[in-house]
Amino acid sequence: VTPGGSSTSGRIGGLALAGWFALWLVALGALAAWRQSTPLAPAQPIAFPHTIHAGRLAIPCTFCHVNASRSPSATVPALSVCMTCHETIALDRPEVQKLRGYVARKEPVQWERVHQVPSFVRFTHKRHIKAGVDCAACHGGVAQMARVQRVRPLTMGWCIGCHRTRGAPTDCAACHV
Amino acid sequence: MDRRTFLQTLGLLTGSSALSACTPGEERRRLVSALVPPEDGVIPGQSVWHFTTCTECPAGCGMQVRLRDGTPVKSEGVPGHPISGGGLCARGQASLWRLYHPGRLRRPMVREGGTLRETTWDDAFTRIASGLGEARKAGRASVYLSGRTHGALADLLDESAAALGFERAPQFEPFSHAAIRRANGLLFGVPEVPHLDLARPDVLLSVGADLLETFVSPVGFAAQVMAGEGRSWWHAEPHYSLTGANADRRLVLRPGSEPWLLAWLLTRLSPTARRPLPPSVLATVPRPTLAAAAEGTGIGADVLEALAAALASAKDPLVVAGGLGTAGEGALATAGLAGALQWILGATGRTVDFARAEGFGAVGSLLDVRRLGERLARGQVGVLFVARANPVRHAPRDWELARKLSGATLRVGMGDLLDETLREMDLVLPLSHALEAWEELAPRRGLRQLVRPAISPLGDTRAEGDVLLELRRRAGEPVARSYQERLMVSWRARYDDAALRALSAAGYVEEPVSAPPPALDAAAAASLLGAVRLPEVARGPVLVLAPSIRGFDGRSRPLQLMEEIPDPLTTVTYGPWISVAPADAKRLQITDGDELAVSAGGWSAELPARLQPGLAEGVFMVQRDVVASFPGDVDPATGEGTCVLRGPKLARTGRTGRMPWLSGSPSQHGRGLIPDPIHRKKPTEVVSLYAPHAHPEHRWTMAIDVSRCIGCGACAAACYVENNVPATGADEHLRGREMSWLRLEPFYDTAGGVDFLPMLCQQCHYAPCEPVCPVYAAYHNPEGLNVQVYNRCIGTRYCSNNCPYKVRRFNWWDHRVEAPLDRLRNPDLSIRGRGVMEKCTFCVQRITAAKDHAKDEGRPVRDGEVVPACAQSCPTTAIAFGDLNDASSRVASLVKVAGSWRVLEELGTEPSVHYHRGGSSGRKGEP
Repeated sequence: VTPGGSSTSGRIGGLALAGWFALWLVALGALAAWRQSTPLAPAQPIAFPHTIHAGRLAIPCTFCHVNASRSPSATVPALSVCMTCHETIALDRPEVQKLRGYVARKEPVQWERVHQVPSFVRFTHKRHIKAGVDCAACHGGVAQMARVQRVRPLTMGWCIGCHRTRGAPTDCAACHV
Repeated sequence: MDRRTFLQTLGLLTGSSALSACTPGEERRRLVSALVPPEDGVIPGQSVWHFTTCTECPAGCGMQVRLRDGTPVKSEGVPGHPISGGGLCARGQASLWRLYHPGRLRRPMVREGGTLRETTWDDAFTRIASGLGEARKAGRASVYLSGRTHGALADLLDESAAALGFERAPQFEPFSHAAIRRANGLLFGVPEVPHLDLARPDVLLSVGADLLETFVSPVGFAAQVMAGEGRSWWHAEPHYSLTGANADRRLVLRPGSEPWLLAWLLTRLSPTARRPLPPSVLATVPRPTLAAAAEGTGIGADVLEALAAALASAKDPLVVAGGLGTAGEGALATAGLAGALQWILGATGRTVDFARAEGFGAVGSLLDVRRLGERLARGQVGVLFVARANPVRHAPRDWELARKLSGATLRVGMGDLLDETLREMDLVLPLSHALEAWEELAPRRGLRQLVRPAISPLGDTRAEGDVLLELRRRAGEPVARSYQERLMVSWRARYDDAALRALSAAGYVEEPVSAPPPALDAAAAASLLGAVRLPEVARGPVLVLAPSIRGFDGRSRPLQLMEEIPDPLTTVTYGPWISVAPADAKRLQITDGDELAVSAGGWSAELPARLQPGLAEGVFMVQRDVVASFPGDVDPATGEGTCVLRGPKLARTGRTGRMPWLSGSPSQHGRGLIPDPIHRKKPTEVVSLYAPHAHPEHRWTMAIDVSRCIGCGACAAACYVENNVPATGADEHLRGREMSWLRLEPFYDTAGGVDFLPMLCQQCHYAPCEPVCPVYAAYHNPEGLNVQVYNRCIGTRYCSNNCPYKVRRFNWWDHRVEAPLDRLRNPDLSIRGRGVMEKCTFCVQRITAAKDHAKDEGRPVRDGEVVPACAQSCPTTAIAFGDLNDASSRVASLVKVAGSWRVLEELGTEPSVHYHRGGSSGRKGEP
């Protein structure tokens, strides 16, 4: 390696190195932007209006999400539950017709998840409901949402904040097993 | 390396590792609205327990299966079950691995051009129907050979045989107990395997019968023999079995000398018999002298005399012969003498119960298989059905059964995994697993058990009953719509509503049995015992084909879990091996892992050696389940296969075999892990810079009774399934990267006695793992657990390096599981990814569930409510678990048992796992 060549290749090497790290910066930035853009309010296969059911009709949450008070998962209702009313009610609405189409085709509806904790978190609806935590504490005012959206961060810090103020367990093993 | 290359490499490495660290996307993206809600009582996210029967071996233990959202995820024992008592062995745990086995047959297959290709059920039924018709026209008999069958399916088979015009061959079961049945048939006119009550005898002598491994009902027997306090249990065998290891006294017999021992005992105990043999019978029995018996058996005269004295003075003595003791030449003599001893000791009709005989009555022996082979060779057989049996593997190789099978015009096999026999078939019909179909079993007279589906069939499989019904329907017979319907109709006819509910809730129903007390047939007994010849006991090496607690006769061997769980005595996991006595190893100049070329009786293999302390010189042991075709002869009198092969040839190959074994050393090297003597004083004063942890509410503690632990490995298997512990495979095991959270360390003493030390995370109070974790992933929780927060762990492995108990396991890889085995996953705890340390946390998910349940009912957690998976499965209830803060709990009293100790207590770790010896003292299995 000649002294002259060394300086040229040094410049190129420096540039390449800077480019390499810049690439990572861009990638990280893109990742951050993508995370931001994961939908907080995804479009659903049927535009189910909580505003009507939970809002105007004031049906309690656990009427449809029947397992929230007795199981870790709140679960979405089976279509037969919807059909108890929509066999006769609001048959002219396009979204209800969509629902009846699913039932006629015997096809389960696959809703887009809005609220989800990571797989390494053991979350149970039952304990929270039994402790008297209002659904809105985590899910926001769903009754006022035309399309359900996530309004709480559902991060560990946010969970712990509530656990601390309410005297709930803050032992790691309470949620992480 | 210059700076540039260094930076380039660094950049590439960081880049690639950052990329590879990106976790795959969350899979639970969608929420599904079902069409109709799940049936009553099923709540998504909540577990349901289903009571059924384990079918992994013929014992018929009770099994409860945990269903989570319609998927079986864990099997456990049924407390108080009449057969198993409450535990479930490792094979029972592995029955879920069979259900989800990736290699399970999913569709019917037909042989075309020498290979099997998939076909439809319709095609299969058409072929069978025309095959049966052609056989009838040709005047050939169609034969149905099944594995051991009892209960409703046996009735249906008999009916179908008449309707479809086939005959049933005697059922095939490799461990057929044929000698016992034949001897009992001659002595008492009942050719049955009696039900043994091993809870009652105060002196028990078992000869060859591997009560804890495969003999009739190992889980139930283990519970019974290990429960009694003050019992003296003697076990006589030529080799070294787990049963022998756990007996109070292990007598090492010369191979084949069982008749010497039993004939001498009969002579010695006859004068004081509770129920003497008729003089005409007694006169025919050979009467060896004590000296001759000692010479013949190789057992000291003083030991023989002590054994006889113990049996003579016992309140409820019992002698049992079976297993290897009645395998091969002399089998009938041994079984006959044992039957006569049971008679004179007053055990027959008492602890030897013929009224509740084990359902082996319709089982044949290898002789029946040979007869079938001869008929096949002569071209007398039309359609041959083989269901749930693998005679090709178990028949002696020189019978060439596989070749003879081609003598049938159509060969129809039924099973779940392709085995040696199914590979020879023209049609292979996939059978549903016991968790996919209804069935009613009667493994023992007076007991009916339910097998019920927990999941709809994973493949296009059918129950054997449904196959038979469909064949009859196609023959134009009006039959039940399904086997399930047939069973339901029969239950409604037999039981009222209350009885049906009880059957459904418990999974079994006991019915009263009555049978006249057995009477000795003097003439037949005289001819049987008169024919007993005390064999010339040959000296010289023998090769023992030992029944395997892991693979049974080979049927559980395809389940990988059974390879992950080490063999109890040698701790070998994957692969076959040959157990060699230390003295022989010295002579052959070999050590652990050195390969030996073995040949015996036309069978040869190259196997790595494993030294077995306590094994008699000249005795070599190979596990029966790894021998792919039976190398022995068959005893013409009983049909038992010879499992003690004379004159094996052994030679070093000079290579080292692939044999992973988990134990560091067979000896404790005087470290007192299991203190001996048990009252040794330990430095107990703990000096610590840290303040003691407070345990305001609970302090979870485990107490393990080492005197009850038989080393069977049920706990380890239960732990695998409960905690999503990955099976890593042979290569990883060879690198020492096994993942099992719980292991059993066999520690031998110089005399060959052994103690098993169950070793799991000790949940130390001053845990060496905790302070070294740089990210606080290992910490002490307020309930006394050393919690490992998996999502916080960054994989430095400092904790593992600092753990004196070697109980932490590191995930070197993401362990991918082939479908559908990936469905076997406990959703209550996470799957640990690559680069994460994992370990036992006393089944913290079960603690949480119990607390949750208690909170629902507004009460504190009850003692015994939290049962970790290991404790639940233990056949001998050696493991107790509970809250030390609760002074009235069982563990609180057990940790105070005299001589209770903690392992490596002198390090000041203050473990939460306490060991004790219950009532007994001294090591088991001492000769």
